[in-house]
Amino acid sequence: MRGSIRKSHEERLEGIGVCPGVAIGNAFLVDDPRGRVVRVFLPKERLESEILRFREAARAAQAQVKVDIERVRAALGSDHAYILEAHLLMLEDRTLGRQIENFIRVNHANAEWAVRDVTQHLLEVYGQIEDEYLRERGSDIEDVAHRIIKILSGKEQRSLNELADNSIIVADDLLPSVTADLDPRKVLGFVTGIGGWTSHTAIIARSVNIPAVVGVRDITERVRSGETVIIDGAAGTVILSPSPETLIFYTEERQRQRQQALYDIEERELPPITLDNHEIRLRANIELIEEIDTYQRFNAAGVGLYRSEFLYSQAESGQPTEEEQYEAYKFLAGMVGDEGAVVRTFDLGGDKLHLEGFKAERNPAIGMRAIRLSLSVEPVFRTQVRAILRAASHGDLKILLPFVTNVDEVRRAKKIIADVKRQLASENVAHNGDLEIGVMIEVPAAVMMAEALARESDFFSLGTNDLIQSLLAVDRGNENVSALFDPMHPAVLRAIKMVSDAAAKMQIPVNVCGEMASNPAQVILLLGLGLRDLSMTPSAIPAIRRLVRSIKLADAETLAAKALSLDTPAAVRHYVQTHLNDLGSELLAAAHAG
Amino acid sequence: MQKRTVTITNRLGLHARAAAKLVKLAASCKSRVTLARAEALHHTADAKSIFSVLLLAATQNTLIEITVEGPDEELAMETLCRLIADKFGEE
Repeated sequence: MRGSIRKSHEERLEGIGVCPGVAIGNAFLVDDPRGRVVRVFLPKERLESEILRFREAARAAQAQVKVDIERVRAALGSDHAYILEAHLLMLEDRTLGRQIENFIRVNHANAEWAVRDVTQHLLEVYGQIEDEYLRERGSDIEDVAHRIIKILSGKEQRSLNELADNSIIVADDLLPSVTADLDPRKVLGFVTGIGGWTSHTAIIARSVNIPAVVGVRDITERVRSGETVIIDGAAGTVILSPSPETLIFYTEERQRQRQQALYDIEERELPPITLDNHEIRLRANIELIEEIDTYQRFNAAGVGLYRSEFLYSQAESGQPTEEEQYEAYKFLAGMVGDEGAVVRTFDLGGDKLHLEGFKAERNPAIGMRAIRLSLSVEPVFRTQVRAILRAASHGDLKILLPFVTNVDEVRRAKKIIADVKRQLASENVAHNGDLEIGVMIEVPAAVMMAEALARESDFFSLGTNDLIQSLLAVDRGNENVSALFDPMHPAVLRAIKMVSDAAAKMQIPVNVCGEMASNPAQVILLLGLGLRDLSMTPSAIPAIRRLVRSIKLADAETLAAKALSLDTPAAVRHYVQTHLNDLGSELLAAAHAG
Repeated sequence: MQKRTVTITNRLGLHARAAAKLVKLAASCKSRVTLARAEALHHTADAKSIFSVLLLAATQNTLIEITVEGPDEELAMETLCRLIADKFGEE
């Protein structure tokens, strides 16, 4: 049976790192999102009593089913009770009972885990049955397993309070309530089988700053409770059965990071000023209001990018109402105070709005999205603008328009915003009519038209991720070409220079909010190209703060000027790396990875 | 020992409800009752275990060989075959 496989070779699994840091601990498996089935490795002397515990639960389940059968018989006739009769037979089936008891003995397993694993195995066999009707009957097995597990966990809560010290929680997925219930003093890290950057586990991990890797396929099948697991939250790597060398490497790395975290705390109040006395503004990118804690922890100078479309992932009705939005923006405004926050209006595709007659697009990245959608489905845009304008009376908010390709789009959006202001004024609703309106520069057309766009906007925000993708015609998600996505491409540097120059000429501020702003080597180029305002994922701020404090802006400018004159990405990279070596800073050496 | 090969004729085959009826009947017999798909006789199922029966995955028109061995084997074979011929009382 799968749970009994012992591994001896180190195994590295890749997922999505959603909270950086190294954790070394013992796997604690949580088998269902509700946390009812965990996997505990029991000592030998507890096995017989565990088997009795299972038998008792199975008997209780049988009694329950018998009661149900009588009830159904009385109400609907005996023909309707036959499914329950089948359930009863399954519960009485010694084949199943013996397998489960055997599993407990062989794997030192708790009863919940044994029931889950044995029935799961049966279900797999069932899944291979070719007849669809029979295959679907697998749900009866699930029902029966569910009933026993419910009895087991109800009687004696052997679930999350079995959590030992130094645990790394391993699960396919966890409900937020379960994650929130875990004792944070005992949890060193999280690994989940599904999820992404904004899954609940990811958000909670970031808010309490515990290393986490999500989206590690089949993780619960590969690891057993109690075994040593290493997670590297920055790399998104999970290591099972680590070799002694790996263990030493990561133990040292963890020590280094702990030391680093202490420096980060010591340094968080230090101003991000270059050696030649230029102040650089370091702001935070935020997806969800719940993440605002991290913004404070790293002492960001405001929120440079709030991605409002993530409200859609949380809205109860699927579409956030004006009040829901207002509450979120108001909270944001209150938290950031004078430092301010930039609210980017929904960068969504039509699929999210559940529009009638909307057909899936072949290429949504260059389809009906962001400002295009806002202008074509005006009511949604108006509602959002109303909520932002109202919330802006509680703090410094700015509006940012995403995916602009045409000056006319900015004019139309501004007209709508002005109209909403008039409406709010006529209704006597408190709002801020003076908030700034900025334009996201993230497509080549916007770069070419930067001066004209600057005339229509109060600020620019440079979205390097989308810009690089469209400028270099590379789909990052396509592994055949993803290596061509290259921030060091001279065309990218020239585009950034054009935007930076246009903004300087038109005297409007420009902020960088793409991933380039969190990569030390690339940040040097950005600074050299004239940018002074960087917005990034909050955990990147300490490293960038140190970088800023360790260089001269004049050096960065020389470096960028030379890089601009080179003709290939490889030449730029080579030049930058050589130059970083000359600077000799330890930190800069570390930046080479980028 | 009795052996007989029968066809599962009910539309849904040996699904949970039909299997439950079959298992209950087999369990009431003193004899040992085993089932096997006619094309895979080495893979036998204990007719008194519902999991075993369900895993035969016998759909409509599957040929099943029934083997009964024990004191009431004749009666057992009769009643089992009748249940199957009656399409488990389903149609």
